[in-house]
Amino acid sequence: MTEIERALAEKLLALADDELILAHRNSEWTGHAPILEEDIALANIAQDELGHAMLYYELHCALAGGTPDRLAFFREAADFRNVQLVELPKGDWAFTMLRQYLFDAYELALLAQLTHSAHRPLAEVAAKVRNEELYHYKHTGAWVRRLGLGTEESHCRMQTALNELWPYTAQLFTPGADEEVLVKAGITPPPAEVREAWAAKVLPWLEAANLSIPLAPTVTLRRAEHTPHLTRLLAEMQSVARSDPAAEW
Amino acid sequence: MDTQWPRWEVFKQDDPQQPHRSIGTVHAPDAEMALLIARDVHVRRPDCASLWVARADCITALTAEEIAADPNWHIENIPPDAPMQLYLIFQKTSQRRAMTYVAHVGDVEARSPREALRLAMERFGTNKVFVWWAVPAGAITRSEAGVEASWFAPAREKKYKQQSEYGDVGGLRAKVRRNL
Repeated sequence: MTEIERALAEKLLALADDELILAHRNSEWTGHAPILEEDIALANIAQDELGHAMLYYELHCALAGGTPDRLAFFREAADFRNVQLVELPKGDWAFTMLRQYLFDAYELALLAQLTHSAHRPLAEVAAKVRNEELYHYKHTGAWVRRLGLGTEESHCRMQTALNELWPYTAQLFTPGADEEVLVKAGITPPPAEVREAWAAKVLPWLEAANLSIPLAPTVTLRRAEHTPHLTRLLAEMQSVARSDPAAEW
Repeated sequence: MDTQWPRWEVFKQDDPQQPHRSIGTVHAPDAEMALLIARDVHVRRPDCASLWVARADCITALTAEEIAADPNWHIENIPPDAPMQLYLIFQKTSQRRAMTYVAHVGDVEARSPREALRLAMERFGTNKVFVWWAVPAGAITRSEAGVEASWFAPAREKKYKQQSEYGDVGGLRAKVRRNL
């Protein structure tokens, strides 16, 4: 692999791992959401994110070899490249909706630029993923507003969720080791620009939902660093596949 | 305080040439959420060009049996200053199981839902109509133009398997049958 290909493969893995881990966290609500309708809606969103993970894994595998299933089910926590934001336990409904909202806004800001990526296969995937994200953003944004402006309890839960999640959002925009190479080649946008577009979306929306924006985010760790939550998540997510590695699904 | 969310009737249009048809209900706190939820619950795979929602308690329904049992069903005291408003009229015209939809057939202007239904019967005829609905136009919330690509198009490409496609289930069935 060339230097650019190696950098791109790493970036694709990060994109895919974010989607996979978030999809799994959302899937934990299946059968437990506050009402049946939202149970179906969130399972739907989780399936969409899983589908997006698949698209990124396929692009990654085209460069670096391997298969999506091996990557999802037979890697250890230290080899995952997702941000810590998506591996945190699902919390309450406010936490889950706000995390999904913050992530959807990040995806939309990123995808708007990725649709012009110099790596054509990535530009095509981005255009496809973006359509579904527009809907996710609308759905989760509606929840953020309603809980933020709802009762004293719903507002309090939403503010608590924001206080917990906010520091972790910084990692979404922390440049990877080889980010420069990709930006120079016009394959991915500069993280600072994505961050600006993201902030322009979420700050007014959160303020309109009567939420106070916490101080500047601080978690700028590398994507190889994880909380212990990821190990527990993987233990459950990978258990069936690992119980019979030769099984065909 | 009533903490239950109201029920909303969902109307789906399969393609721009078809009428909007009632396909089920959702519970939601308000019209915007009802539309969002309706998209997930009722448009996961089939084709859709447009969605409407209306609070179930805004719908005036009348069956052919109710009309036959009470010839005076339409007699009511309408206040002289009652304003005219637009009502959307829906009919169910088949009892066959696969076609039990209540479909939009047209609109009438009237001063009350019952008057709207009476005028609708004059205009559209009553032959083979099993159920009538009148819904004030103002009670209907419609999916916005331009959301097609993000709300409805992705469902078309989603693959799903019929139960019979799962080899193990099919095999199990055959085994059970052999042992009967």
